[in-house]
Amino acid sequence: MSKKIGKHIAIYGKGGIGKSTTTSNISAALAESGYRVIQIGCDPKSDSTTILRGGNDLPTVLDTLREQSKVRIEDISAVGFGGVLCIEAGGPVPGVGCAGRGINAAVELLQELKIFEEFKPDFVLYDVLGDVVCGGFAVPIRDGLADRAFVVTSSDFMAIFAANNLFKAVNKYALSGGARLGGVIANSILAAYAPALIDDFAAKTGTQVIGYVPRSLVVAQSELYGKTVIESVPQSEQAQVYRKLAKYIDENEDSVIPKPLNSPELKKWAREWGDRIFEVETGVVHEMASI
Amino acid sequence: MSHHLEGSRNSCALHGALQLFEAIEGVIPVIHSTSGCGVQHYLGVTRLSGGNDPFSSPPVSSSNIAEKHVVFGGGSRLREQLKNTVKVVQGDLYAIVTGCSTEMVGDDIPAMAREGREQDWPVVYANTPGFSGDVHHGYHLAVKALIEQLPGIWKRTGEFQTRMVNVWGIIPNQDPFWRGNLQELGRLLEGIGLVPNLLLGSEQGIAAWKQIPEAALNLVLSHWGKLPAGLLEQLYGTPSIILEGVPVGSAAVPLLRRLTEQLKLDQIRSEEFITREESLLNHQFARLADSYYRAGFQREFVLVGESAQVAGIGEFLGKSFGLLPRMLIITDNPPDNVQEALADRLSSIVSGYDTEVIFSEDRAEITDIMRTSDVQLILASSLEREVAVELDVPFLALSFPLDDRIVLDRGYAGYRGATALLEDIGSTILAFSRAWHVC
Repeated sequence: MSKKIGKHIAIYGKGGIGKSTTTSNISAALAESGYRVIQIGCDPKSDSTTILRGGNDLPTVLDTLREQSKVRIEDISAVGFGGVLCIEAGGPVPGVGCAGRGINAAVELLQELKIFEEFKPDFVLYDVLGDVVCGGFAVPIRDGLADRAFVVTSSDFMAIFAANNLFKAVNKYALSGGARLGGVIANSILAAYAPALIDDFAAKTGTQVIGYVPRSLVVAQSELYGKTVIESVPQSEQAQVYRKLAKYIDENEDSVIPKPLNSPELKKWAREWGDRIFEVETGVVHEMASI
Repeated sequence: MSHHLEGSRNSCALHGALQLFEAIEGVIPVIHSTSGCGVQHYLGVTRLSGGNDPFSSPPVSSSNIAEKHVVFGGGSRLREQLKNTVKVVQGDLYAIVTGCSTEMVGDDIPAMAREGREQDWPVVYANTPGFSGDVHHGYHLAVKALIEQLPGIWKRTGEFQTRMVNVWGIIPNQDPFWRGNLQELGRLLEGIGLVPNLLLGSEQGIAAWKQIPEAALNLVLSHWGKLPAGLLEQLYGTPSIILEGVPVGSAAVPLLRRLTEQLKLDQIRSEEFITREESLLNHQFARLADSYYRAGFQREFVLVGESAQVAGIGEFLGKSFGLLPRMLIITDNPPDNVQEALADRLSSIVSGYDTEVIFSEDRAEITDIMRTSDVQLILASSLEREVAVELDVPFLALSFPLDDRIVLDRGYAGYRGATALLEDIGSTILAFSRAWHVC
């Protein structure tokens, strides 16, 4: 592979957890700071970059590849907010074909098109379908494509489960040149116990939480207008949260090889948290506990 | 425990299914896979089975899928390929077989076959990814597809035939002598008044497969024939006679008698036929006697091949021809209970003489075993030629892969097969002795 141009970051997380929103806002914040950014959506839903582009249509790499033998960069990319170059890998219709292989094919095409050499990005953000269900979805963290992976999670158990699965994939590939883990982004923080739960999971798996994004109406409103928070409400607290995340990713190069929990450990850990939350909700006071 | 395997002689399920479909006249296989699957079938299987390969290249229709069919699904490519195949190749039946990549992606093959049938094309399908098993599993998948799907295309019209026998368990090309073996078995069955339904080879087309439910009996000649026989028993109540090996020479006698009794045939006619065949074989033995003793035919031999071949040939050579089966090496990897039964049956073919029965498909292991065995004659596949030269013993290739013989009608089954075996082994030993004298 030729010399890497820019910092390549992969962002994973369970479907519906707010991964694309978070990634797009980070892209927007980085662009706002003057960086050249490419955001590549690696999800068959192909809606990663929608809020960077005002909700306009963008032909996906794979759809274009299917329809025409020769593909040009301008056929499969659009310039969004702050000059972010938006690309959607795309995929087959649900229930047909192999989306995992699709991600592979799309990434190969981007390399063939020399998109990084042409655009000269400072940052490339891969927004990847959350559950690492097969080898195809691990492509961005394999073979040194991305330097660091971040995982977006809420305090829901299934989101934590997906994060733990990603840790397994990072753990598997990191030793042979794959991406290392940059950290955890705690998203949709609403319940009081949520930060502590995610902190505890991060500590147990040998990583750290790099930011807490509260659940916010501003995000939902901005999305309805097809915009990032950075673009639509730049002065909001929420925008500041995303700017802080972008700043961390920009300035901090820390990364680890995580230690994922095995299945019984994860179940045990979840049950313990279930008990703690139940006790908090029902007001159980333990002997000697400070009041 | 896992171990590495050298020079495997068992190809994949897709190839097993292709072997079967190609052996039925009028059946046009359509491969739904990458282009290499069809080519590999030609290079690695049909071309190594005694010159049974099609001229110059494999004339097999294939969807030759590319990356975009993996990503987006290859259903439409198969639809197109089926349509084109029906247009340019006239056949009685089109049989879709699938490879690993299209099965990983999960293309809906039954739907594609159904679409074809809705257009009045006779289409069956078998999901045959190579990773699902070896060539024997592929044979199973293909016969199962035909037995289960043909009645959905053509309604059963024929009457029950009290004398008809379906023959199962000989896998085309995996047994390089399959045509000759089937012909001889057919001749034996006809000899006692039966109507053989051989299903594969010359003049065996879809008509033969359509009349499978009408048969009175299934004759199973190897472990691999038990599955179709079991299916037919479930579907139509057809009983079976199961042999773990193709009978050679006098081993046919108990079979012919059992058939006569079970299907209530004319006993006098059967016995007359048996007597005629037996006396002809004895006559051949007598004619061979001079060479037999002069050139020292009685040798310790090792025989390598599929269970169907090894059991029949091994017993014939040991019991009737006076050779000593030092080792019988079975390469088709039958299940444990079959292995135990075969080992039990074949370890004492010659009274007072121990035969080692070994199950291996690993060329390296087979070669090593031979090196330490002190054998005087090797009957095996072409893979064992090298070790035979090294050990400087007479060698006859008679199992798959077979790359130094042309096999047209030759077979080693039944009485004619026994005679052919006597000729081939005798000629091999004589040629070897002559070469040695000249040197």
